[in-house]
Amino acid sequence: MNDADQKVRVAQLSCGPEHSGVQKEIDEAAAAVNAEMFFPDVTLKDVKKAYKEFGLEARSADLKLAIARAKALVDGSVEADAVFIATCFRCSEAAIVRNELRRYIHNNSTLPVVSYSFTERTTSGTLLTRMEALTTIAKRRALLAREKQVGITLGIDSGSATTKAVIMKDNEIVGTGWTPTTEVLKSADIVVNDALTMAGLKMSDIQAIGTTGYGRYLIGEKMKADIIQEELTVNSKGAVYLADRQHGEATVIDIGGMDNKAISVQDGIPGTFTMGGICAGASGRFLEMTSKRLGVDITELGPLAMKGLSKEVPMNSYCIVFGTQSLVNALAEGHSKENVAAAACRSVAEQVFEQQLQEVDIKEPVIMVGGTSLIAGLVNEMGRLLQTEVVVPPYSQYIGSVGSALLASGFIDEKKKGE
Amino acid sequence: MPKEYNPEFVGTVTKYVFVESPDITPQHLSIRAYEISQGVMIKETCFGLQITGMPEDVEKVIAALREMDPYHILVKDRGFPPGDKRRCRANLGGARPGYFGHEFEMGLLRHISKGLKAMENGVKPNEKSVNAITYHDKPLLDTERLEEIAVSKSRESANKEADTGAANNSITK
Amino acid sequence: MSKVFIYPSTSLILSDMVARFGHEPLGAAIKIRERIQTPGFDSPPLQMTPEDPKKGLKYAAVEVPAGVRGRMAIFGPLIEEAEAAVIVNDSDLAFGCMGCARTDELVKFMIRQRKDIPILEIVYPSNEDEGLAFVDSIKNFLDGLSAKEVPK
Repeated sequence: MNDADQKVRVAQLSCGPEHSGVQKEIDEAAAAVNAEMFFPDVTLKDVKKAYKEFGLEARSADLKLAIARAKALVDGSVEADAVFIATCFRCSEAAIVRNELRRYIHNNSTLPVVSYSFTERTTSGTLLTRMEALTTIAKRRALLAREKQVGITLGIDSGSATTKAVIMKDNEIVGTGWTPTTEVLKSADIVVNDALTMAGLKMSDIQAIGTTGYGRYLIGEKMKADIIQEELTVNSKGAVYLADRQHGEATVIDIGGMDNKAISVQDGIPGTFTMGGICAGASGRFLEMTSKRLGVDITELGPLAMKGLSKEVPMNSYCIVFGTQSLVNALAEGHSKENVAAAACRSVAEQVFEQQLQEVDIKEPVIMVGGTSLIAGLVNEMGRLLQTEVVVPPYSQYIGSVGSALLASGFIDEKKKGE
Repeated sequence: MPKEYNPEFVGTVTKYVFVESPDITPQHLSIRAYEISQGVMIKETCFGLQITGMPEDVEKVIAALREMDPYHILVKDRGFPPGDKRRCRANLGGARPGYFGHEFEMGLLRHISKGLKAMENGVKPNEKSVNAITYHDKPLLDTERLEEIAVSKSRESANKEADTGAANNSITK
Repeated sequence: MSKVFIYPSTSLILSDMVARFGHEPLGAAIKIRERIQTPGFDSPPLQMTPEDPKKGLKYAAVEVPAGVRGRMAIFGPLIEEAEAAVIVNDSDLAFGCMGCARTDELVKFMIRQRKDIPILEIVYPSNEDEGLAFVDSIKNFLDGLSAKEVPK
């Protein structure tokens, strides 16, 4: 059995998935990416000792067990490739333990960790991207270590809102393409052609292809991509590459059209990350709605917001419906477009901050990527909340495509060898 | 599409038989169980046995096993049939959660066994023990009494300080 | 013979005591067995499905975590069925079905709300003498149930 066939062993630290009826979903998500879940073996004596040593007074026995299992992983008495921490959504006791265990493992081991709070509605589909990222980080470190793009490669990012393509040649971006996502394959064709035209290249010149985003499998299979990869690892890689922060710590924030990613990165490799968001009110979608309501193009929203004062307008987009309501009310009350635009940016930044950034440790530099990073008002509000200057690298809206093109270049040599 | 589930061993019960005895091992138990098994399934484990079969058959076997050492054999229901992959340590990597609970109670069995035997011999529990196992809040110290203690302690330390001070003074002299 | 709910409901000792002294212990295993032996959709390991947290809504509101509601789908019906209950209060090291402190609080509360049934509340013994007191108090409690039973 070679390394590629060997299953990635993901240690599960959890309270509640069996009784919520979602353990099967966790197992299925793992199986889909050639991983398997397992429970680190400890004894009752270990549980009592570890719990006392850790010092967090959880009352739930299953959380005490999770603490003991985490300690066994950190101590090295149990080996694993990655760690998945899962507890019930809305359980405050579990949220405290989940966060502390994530931090503890991250700070004391090299194991990649993802934490997730589930409900009975959690499906394997929701967990798939997270599991894929975990297994990639665990098993493909060599691939992720790439710091320079070589040859001619194409990266395609098929997002929920937009599709992007980038062509790179000898560590330079030579072509880009961008279009709103309609039909996945059709949108990909458009952006690839645009990027090729801009680069003055033909498809036959492309030496390797990488795809990412929601449509990655569909496009990847059609184009026979060399690497089909979820956006958590790809975006981390792309972000530190473009921001020239390939070494050391960084935090990558990507507020997407449908969900958001917050990734704590070490040397370009994600350590802990969260993905999701409760409502589109905390996503780029809300800003798109805001710009429509204000009668401005999305590209004008950022500069408009920079001229306004966000605190002048009360707005809470925890829910996109209520968020839209406060938007309408604010305009009816006669608030200026500038202030409303700024308030919308603040509200989205606050939602991401409250719902997601609490799950990762914010380490500077904070790099914002994705289409929304071009909305200066949003970047400004995020920086204000995090009390740091947020870095927006060039081509930040093409982050997934750049990351894919960069990682794809690792396959050129392999292909040559195969020829 | 979700996979269909077709259960096995429908209508049966499975019982754990735990033995924590100086005289009887799980092997002894299993030999006896096989002798009287009457078609029930018997699986030997590190702590005793698991017995699966129709409820009345399982009850008969258990009644006979209990006779072997009534104070050191304890019985409990199990939801899964023996060796079920979903609950097997080999598949899970580590023990299922319930195992730790058993591990905890196994540590108390010696008290229970002694208790059962003493009770059988007509011994009555003493008041202190009855009080110890009764569920009640830990009685708090009366506030007046606490104040008395505090006052007497502060007097004590004041006296001590005065003594040390005198001693120090005598040194500096 | 009375149906006696045991807490912790995964307890070997309580399950044994209740059966040994002639009654029927109601513990988590009974409800897990029901699920394991009922055909339906495959949902390992416990054959608990997202339907269970929904059933649990009878006992806890929707804002209560899914793990609590799922567990209540096991315990709720057992508590309703119980004709007596024995609670061991210092059972902090019971895992799995009893592994969630919030569920455990709700379970105990629901038992105590059953004003129509006799309840014994004790703690684990920590020596031989207490072992005797523990066993003796359970036996007396259970014998009392038999005495109260009206001959049919």
